[in-house]
Amino acid sequence: MKAPWLRSFTLLYLVFLYSPIILLPIFAFNDSKVVAFPLTGFTLGWFREMFSDVNLRIAAKNSLIIALSVATLSTILGIFAARASVRYRFPGKAAIMGLIMLPLVLPEMIVAMALLVVLLSMGVPLSLFTVIIGQVLICTPFAVAILTSAFQSLDRSLEEAAMDLGETQWSTFRLIVLPLVMPGILSSFLICFTIAFDEFIVANFLGSGQPILSVYIFGQFRFPAKVPSMLALGTVLVCMSIILLGFAEYMRRRGIAKAGGKDTGGFL
Amino acid sequence: MTFSDDRPTMIEFKDVHKYYGDYHALRGINGTIKAGEFFSLLGPSGCGKTTLLRTIAGFEDISSGVIMIDGKDMAGVAANVRPTNMVFQSYAIFPHMSVAENVGFGLRKDPRSKEEKARAVAEALEMVGLKGYGNRAAHALSGGQRQRVALARALILKPKVLLLDEPLSALDKKMREHMQVELIKLQRQVGITFILVTHDQEEALVMSDRIAVMFEGEIAQLADPETLYRRPATKKVADFIGTMNFVPAEILSETGNAVEVDAKGLGRVMLDIAQAPAKAGESPVVGLRPETLTLLYDDQKPSERETDGVIDEVIYFGDMTYYDVYLGGTDVEVRLSMRNVPGRPVLDVGEKVRVAWSPSALVLFR
Repeated sequence: MKAPWLRSFTLLYLVFLYSPIILLPIFAFNDSKVVAFPLTGFTLGWFREMFSDVNLRIAAKNSLIIALSVATLSTILGIFAARASVRYRFPGKAAIMGLIMLPLVLPEMIVAMALLVVLLSMGVPLSLFTVIIGQVLICTPFAVAILTSAFQSLDRSLEEAAMDLGETQWSTFRLIVLPLVMPGILSSFLICFTIAFDEFIVANFLGSGQPILSVYIFGQFRFPAKVPSMLALGTVLVCMSIILLGFAEYMRRRGIAKAGGKDTGGFL
Repeated sequence: MTFSDDRPTMIEFKDVHKYYGDYHALRGINGTIKAGEFFSLLGPSGCGKTTLLRTIAGFEDISSGVIMIDGKDMAGVAANVRPTNMVFQSYAIFPHMSVAENVGFGLRKDPRSKEEKARAVAEALEMVGLKGYGNRAAHALSGGQRQRVALARALILKPKVLLLDEPLSALDKKMREHMQVELIKLQRQVGITFILVTHDQEEALVMSDRIAVMFEGEIAQLADPETLYRRPATKKVADFIGTMNFVPAEILSETGNAVEVDAKGLGRVMLDIAQAPAKAGESPVVGLRPETLTLLYDDQKPSERETDGVIDEVIYFGDMTYYDVYLGGTDVEVRLSMRNVPGRPVLDVGEKVRVAWSPSALVLFR
């Protein structure tokens, strides 16, 4: 490295990015209602308070339901879209794929507002279900991106070989394609789960005041006394995210290695 | 080379056409492939040879025409029920299965017992020289081993026709030459019709009973290797297979069984009509292979025909030396090859030489 300032800049950038996250566990274990240095002592009290909060438990349960549903639906839709985009040629393919991927760059706020207006005018009552619909829209592009790479690393002649050896289209998909893209499917599921679990905008707009974790946390920050227990919750969520994303990346890499392909980059 | 003549027909093409949109990939393929034959589809990339192979396998529909395999029309017959199996260029070994699972994959619906199937797998592996490899993970194999697995996997179903799509192109030179011989032996052993797609003319000559040379979606010539090499039907085939010198010539007279030409630098020659394939509307040239030309050393007697020349280039290959020689004071340059035997020195650029040749080695393209 010829330019030492580049190294300093990189370091500074990383500190700026991650030091606030490191503060979460520090204050979550700090024995004080005030989030400020110096630290006053070690406690597990905030975690206890967090786990005894009934509303928080409902919010966590709702968020879990939403995240699991969104991850399942997005991944299934992603499988169809990715398979079609890799394998088949059809009129308007580029436009269709572009529209599917668009929510990735579209401001989420716009998606949420538009959906709110449409759903209300259609007379659909807001519920967890409407949150799920909105988040599927947001998550599907991620699923498609991950699964496209999984399907792309699959050598087409593998399928032809299976057909050549007497299998039908469906049994070929079941015996050859599915096992080989399974790591991609898992990794897509996990990433969609993570995105949906802490998604705020759609949850806030389309949730009709149902307790949902991200919205609930935001609300609790109005009460200074609640902040430390929210930091404890944050600590738990950070740990969960790291585990999930790590696992997802591991599955993605394993899938590529298994199919004999080359790694063309991923999330981590 | 009469091997193929008295054999029953295994595959028959009748005016097969294939379009990809506007692109005319196969332009009227006709011909037969005999049972038990080692048949090669040879041509440069994009000539349609792989497309033709894939239409036999059933991976591509044909736009018009008929493909018969073993007397049955293959129209509407899907790949998974055709009596053909394929060895893919990439080998297409299932990476999530063991070697034995790969080889036994086609036996999934076979009514035989587990033990019998396991025995069949072991036999197939032994046949390709991979005895005891059954439990290995497929993705951990070398290129040559993958190819053997692909062969065993295809042959275990005892197909009527084995299709090989450039199976040796991914191997290094030594391994390739080794596998060429192994494939020939294997084909003799199992007696199944092999159809090989290759762009390597040497490989096709070495391995095949008969070869179809393809250019731009058409079969330019279908013949046994020797005929293909000695009597190419067109200038393009001659140029594609081995090295051939082309000398401009003038046709002096033609009768029913002979053609007299005046070849630049060689002089007047009388050719048998068999040396003059059908007209293609080109300006006439005579073709001659480098090994049919010989340098005469001082002590050697004059030959049937000889021409003076000047060496323009010397290319030394160890066992052989190639000389580029200007013929008889003209600007016609031919390449000739001489074996480097004791007592035969390698000559220098600029030396005057005598070149001996035989009219019977000439082919006329016009």
